[in-house]
Amino acid sequence: MSGVILKKLGAPEGLARRFLVTCMIVGFAALALAAITAAWVTSQTAEHTQRVNHTYEVEVTIGQLQALVEQSETARRGYILTGMQAYLDNRQSILVHIDPRLNRLAGLTADNADQRVRIGELRQRIAAIRARQETTIALAQAGRRADAATVFAAETSARRLRAIRDLFAAMNADEHRLLVQRDAAQQKSLTTFYLVMIVAGVLVLFVAAASVATVMRYTRDLGAARDRLQLLNADLEGAVAERTADLTRANEEIQRFAYIVSHDLRSPLVNVMGFTAELDAARVSLADLVDRAAERAPDIVTDEARLAATEDLPEAIGFIRSSTQKMDRLINAILRLSREGRRTLAPEPIDLAAMTQGISDSLRHTADDRGAAIVVETPMPSLVSDRVAIEQIVSNLIENAVKYLAPGRPGRIVVRARADGPRRIIEVADNGRGIAANDHDRVFDLFRRSGVQDQQGEGIGLAHVRALAYRLGGTIDLESTLGQGSTFRVTLPATLSETGPST
Amino acid sequence: MNDHRSVSIVMIEDDEGHARLIEKNIRRAGILNDISHFTDGTTALQYLFEDQNGPALNGPALVLLDLNLPDMSGTDILTKIKAEGSPLKRTPVVVLTTTDDKVEIQRCYDLGCNVYITKPVNYESFAQAIRQLGLFLSVIQVPEVEG
Repeated sequence: MSGVILKKLGAPEGLARRFLVTCMIVGFAALALAAITAAWVTSQTAEHTQRVNHTYEVEVTIGQLQALVEQSETARRGYILTGMQAYLDNRQSILVHIDPRLNRLAGLTADNADQRVRIGELRQRIAAIRARQETTIALAQAGRRADAATVFAAETSARRLRAIRDLFAAMNADEHRLLVQRDAAQQKSLTTFYLVMIVAGVLVLFVAAASVATVMRYTRDLGAARDRLQLLNADLEGAVAERTADLTRANEEIQRFAYIVSHDLRSPLVNVMGFTAELDAARVSLADLVDRAAERAPDIVTDEARLAATEDLPEAIGFIRSSTQKMDRLINAILRLSREGRRTLAPEPIDLAAMTQGISDSLRHTADDRGAAIVVETPMPSLVSDRVAIEQIVSNLIENAVKYLAPGRPGRIVVRARADGPRRIIEVADNGRGIAANDHDRVFDLFRRSGVQDQQGEGIGLAHVRALAYRLGGTIDLESTLGQGSTFRVTLPATLSETGPST
Repeated sequence: MNDHRSVSIVMIEDDEGHARLIEKNIRRAGILNDISHFTDGTTALQYLFEDQNGPALNGPALVLLDLNLPDMSGTDILTKIKAEGSPLKRTPVVVLTTTDDKVEIQRCYDLGCNVYITKPVNYESFAQAIRQLGLFLSVIQVPEVEG
């Protein structure tokens, strides 16, 4: 029954476990994916920020450079117009900054071919403007300020400056375009990131929901299975109780049957024995008649009539008698067994040693006659059981030992008892004639005996002892070697409970 | 018994053989009273209480009762005889049966049985028991049946 349940439980259990494992794997995969994406996006963002910073640096440098170029031009114009040395000094302090700024710009945009070309051009144009400025400044220093002004008017410095401004504007535009491009890329990666996060989140949510649902269903199944098991358990107890009641009833039925049968068999037996006795009485008077007839008129007495009266009838009546007597003994034995089986057991503390000594004393006379000694080994453990039953067990076993001695060997019967946990073991050992191995079970059966049938008995004692041992919740077994002796061992519970084995 | 002629013996015994053996041995004890034999409870009750020659209407009697009857238990008959208001309440009842169950014996005495005898299977004992019963019957006083 339980195998079926396990089978029924097994399939959903395996399925649920596999499903849960799959769910966990999917959940962890989604989480890992989200983490990887987040890391990737973070690195992307860091890179992007660096690029944006780079672009701003380029733009700032371009602005500074442009301002320096414009300022140097302004300083030259001031000097040509005023001839004041302060303008020259101012220009000089501006000029020292231009080259480092140019180099820095070149360094910043080294990875951009377009910008590199523009920087080259820028260098040339700035150099050209500086050359022009130096020419006019030299004229002015030489006191020819009017010439310088003329040269300044003739030169195309405004156009040149515009070209430089265009270059700067182009560079700025280029950087800006790059920035926009990078922004777009960044936006795209962010979008991807969000998408991945949403997908992963949905996946995790779904897995969690599925897992919770599975666990709940599984738990519910487990609960149901447990309830069913409990129910089955209760059923099992009920079944055991029912079976016990059945057995008890069956046993009572057998006891009653044995009692009724044996009892009812006695009635006809009374008739058989009674009328056999009447028949015998009648035969006696008939035999007298035959005798008297043989004396007075021998010719009317046939041999047949004489034989019938003196031999055949007594023989037949003898057989009927012995058979009915045997039948009477058997019926009485069954009656006694069934009565014993129905007797209410009364557990009480028993001094086993005293009881055994008492039994041994009561059998001493018989034992002495047969040349046997009974030894009671003390001390013996105490016992709570039915006194009558224990007495019958022990006395039956000792009687048997006294009865079945080995011919030509003085009997020695040893009775001992010991405690073995909650059990008490009583042993009756003898050095008698022993029992053949194939009869070890048989001797406990009703009306069965073993060995030479030279002793009185019906084969009831051991059957009775075994029935009593069983009733007391115990067992009996036998160790014996033919010709060496036997040891009967009764194992009984130390305490017979009132409600204990009742049948 | 008071008067060998007047006190009749009613034997209720389903086994013809037993009845015969009982009668033989009672006679051997010198009891010559009439013995009316019934093999079932119904006829026996009818005779005891209603028959013109029965003990209820015609003189004192002594009942020999077997417990195992085909149609009813002997204890039913015992109960009816010993019931309060029964005309045969004081009639001596000797239960003579094969049952030697302690409980059954107690029950019979509780119901008012006067003597309980278990039939011995051994015929010597049986014959002796019945003869002793016969001797016993010859000396006991049986009360007159009331009205």
